[in-house]
Amino acid sequence: MSDENLQSFDDDSQALSMQQIVWHQFIEHKMAVVGMAIITIFVMIALSAPMISKITGIDPEKQNIFKRYQKPFSTIEYSQDDKEAAIEKFIEEDAERSQRIIAAARSANVLESEVTDEDFLFEIILSEDKSAQNRLWELKSQDISELESLCSRFTSFHLLGTDELGRDVLMRLVFGTRVSIAFGIMVALASAFLGLLIGSLAGYYGGWIDSLLSRFIDALLSLPSIPLMIIFAAVDISKIPFVGGMLEGENQSVLKLSIVIALFSWMTVARLVRGSILSIKEREFILAAKTLGARDVSIILSHIVPNVISPLLVAVTLNVGNSILSEAALSFLGLGIQPPTPSWGNMLFNAQELIFEAPLLAILPGLLILLTVISFNFVGDGLQNAIDPKSIRR
Amino acid sequence: MSAYIIRRVIQVIIMMFVLSFICYYMLSLMPGDPVDILASSNPKITTGDIERLKALYGLDKPAYVRYGNWLNSFIHGDFGYSRTYRIPVMELIGPRLFNTFILSLSSLLLSLVLGVAIGVYAGLKPGGKFDYLANLCAYAGISTPAFWLAIVLIILFSVAVPIFPAGGTITVGTNLQGFAAWLDRGKYLVLPILSLTALQAGVFVRFARSSMMEAMGYDFIRTARAKGLNRRVVVWKHAFRNALIPLLTIVALSMSNLFSGAVLTETVFAYQGVGSLIYKAIIESDFNVAMVSFLVSIFMVLIMNLIADLLYAAADPRITYD
Repeated sequence: MSDENLQSFDDDSQALSMQQIVWHQFIEHKMAVVGMAIITIFVMIALSAPMISKITGIDPEKQNIFKRYQKPFSTIEYSQDDKEAAIEKFIEEDAERSQRIIAAARSANVLESEVTDEDFLFEIILSEDKSAQNRLWELKSQDISELESLCSRFTSFHLLGTDELGRDVLMRLVFGTRVSIAFGIMVALASAFLGLLIGSLAGYYGGWIDSLLSRFIDALLSLPSIPLMIIFAAVDISKIPFVGGMLEGENQSVLKLSIVIALFSWMTVARLVRGSILSIKEREFILAAKTLGARDVSIILSHIVPNVISPLLVAVTLNVGNSILSEAALSFLGLGIQPPTPSWGNMLFNAQELIFEAPLLAILPGLLILLTVISFNFVGDGLQNAIDPKSIRR
Repeated sequence: MSAYIIRRVIQVIIMMFVLSFICYYMLSLMPGDPVDILASSNPKITTGDIERLKALYGLDKPAYVRYGNWLNSFIHGDFGYSRTYRIPVMELIGPRLFNTFILSLSSLLLSLVLGVAIGVYAGLKPGGKFDYLANLCAYAGISTPAFWLAIVLIILFSVAVPIFPAGGTITVGTNLQGFAAWLDRGKYLVLPILSLTALQAGVFVRFARSSMMEAMGYDFIRTARAKGLNRRVVVWKHAFRNALIPLLTIVALSMSNLFSGAVLTETVFAYQGVGSLIYKAIIESDFNVAMVSFLVSIFMVLIMNLIADLLYAAADPRITYD
C-alpha cells in the first residue's frame, strides 16, 4: 500500500473494505495492470470488430485470388468480376439514373466505338484504357459523381497485406480476436462450472465419492492433454448417438472444440474447490446452517461458493489463457475452428508452408496469442497476490 | 514402499485399459472406416461388396465387440499393420519412440539446467532487475504457443539465416556411421530442442525461484550465515539442496506437458517421432498406428511420472509412501 493510502487510512480511521485492499494490492503489480490494459484493448477491438469493418469498408471474408500475399501497406484493385458485379448492382439500383448517364455520355461522344446500352457502362469502366473513363468524369453531374465514387472504391488499402486467398490480414486478425477471446472466456467459464460441480461434490460429500473423483482428477492431470484433445477433436460429431443432432449448425466446429477443451481443463478448478471446501466445511457457520436445517444444495450455493469465489476467479483467469493456447494448437493442426471463421489458430494453419513468401502471416497471429495469454497470466498472478491473505499487508 | 509401487503400477494398468477403450471408441467415431476409405479409391466397388468387406473384417459389429477383438490380438502381441506405411506397427513404433525419447529427454535436461540456474539467481534477489527480467521471460515461455515458437525459429534460423534445416530427422540418402551420424542427427535436433526447452524452462524458472525464496527464509540459513559461512556454501549447499526437493514433483508433473509440446513441435519440424505419428495417423485414418502410438506414448509418460515420484521419495527421507 502506498503512503498516500496509509494517510487516508489514518485520517478517516476507517478500515478499508476487502475489495479496496484487493484493489490496492492488485494495482501494485505493474505487469498485471499492463496485462489488464492489453486485455481491455483487445476486448474492445473484439466487440467493435463489425464496426471497424464497416468504417474501413473492408470485409474479412472478401477474397481476391489474383492478389494473394500482398506486402503490407499495399493498395490492390478489385478483380474484373467484382467490378462487374458492383456496376450491375449500380444499374439495378436505379435504371433511370444509368440511362441518364449513358445519354449524357453518348451526346458528349465519350466512347468512340458503337456499344449497346447494356454494355455501355461496363465498356467504359472495365476497359484497360482509362481515357474514356476520364472523359466521363469530366462531364460532372450528380449521377456521374455517384458512379465515380463507386469506382473510387474499387481499390482497397491493406495495412498488413493480404493472405493466401487475398483477404485482408488486419481485418482477419481483428475478427480473429473476437473469436479467440470469446472462445477463451467461454471455455474458461464452462470448465469453471464443471470444476465447481465436481470439486464441490468431492469436497462436500467426502468418503468414497471424494476418493473416486480425486483419483479421476489425478489421472486426468497426469495425462498429456494435446494427444487426448486431438483424438476427441477428430471425432465426427454426427456419428455420436443422441448428442450428435444437438450440435449441428453453423458454429459446429466452435462448439465441438469448446466442449473438448472444457472436458480437459476443469481439473485444476475442481482440485481448488475441493481443497477450499474441505477446510470450510468444518467451520462453525456451516454447522450452524446444518443445525437450522438448510439443504445441502443451499449450503453449497450460499455458504461455500462465496468463500471459494476469489480463488476461483484466479483459476478462471489463468484458464482463459490456457484455453486460447489449446484452441490455437488444435486449430493449427486443422482440428479446431474451421475456416472461414477466422481464429488466431487457424490463421496459422496455412501460414506454415508459406514462410518463404509471407513470414508475416505466420508471425502476427502468434504474437497476438502470446500477448493475450501472457496478459491473462499476469492478471491471474496479480489477482492471486492480491487476494492471498498471506500477502495482504494491512 | 513396494506396496506403493505395486499400487501405482496397478493404477497405471487400469488407466491404460480405460484409455484404450476410450481411444478405440473415439476412433470408431471418426469419419470413415477402413472399408469406406478403400471404397472411395475404387470406383468399381458395389454396395454389396462394401457390405461383404465390412462383414469380413467385422466392421459391422458394435464398437465394444471390435474392441474386444482388438484387445485380444494386442495382448497376444499382434499390433496390426499400418495402412499408410505398409509395415507392421511394431517396426514403425520402435525408431519413432527412440527419436521422441532423445528429443524430450534432451530438452527436459536443458530446460531443467537453464530453468533452475535462472530461477535460483532470481530467487536470491527477489524484486531485483534480474528477477524482473527472469520473471518476464518465464511468463513469456509459459504463454507462447508451442507450434508458433517452432515456426518463428524456422523463419529465423532456416529462412532468414539458413544455419539449421527446417525439418526432418536425419539427412535422407546419406549413409553416415558413428560420430558423423550423430552430428547429422544433432543438426536436425537443435531447433526442436530449442523450442521445447523454451516452453518448459518457464515453469522451472518460476518454481525454482519460489522454492529458493522459501528456502532462503529458513532458520538454518540464518544460522549458517551467522556462523560466518561463505555465501556460496550457504546458497548452494544449504538453500539449494532444500529447494531442489520440491522441484522433483514439478518434473514429474511436467512429463505430460513435455509430451504435449513434443506432439506440436514434432509436427511443425516434421520430426519422425511418436508425437507427430499420433497426429498423422489420426489425420490419415491409420487406426492401428493411432491406437498403438497413442497408448505406448501415454504409457511412457505415466511410467516416467512414476519414476519421478519414486525419485522424490528417495531424495527426501522425510517422505514415506504407504
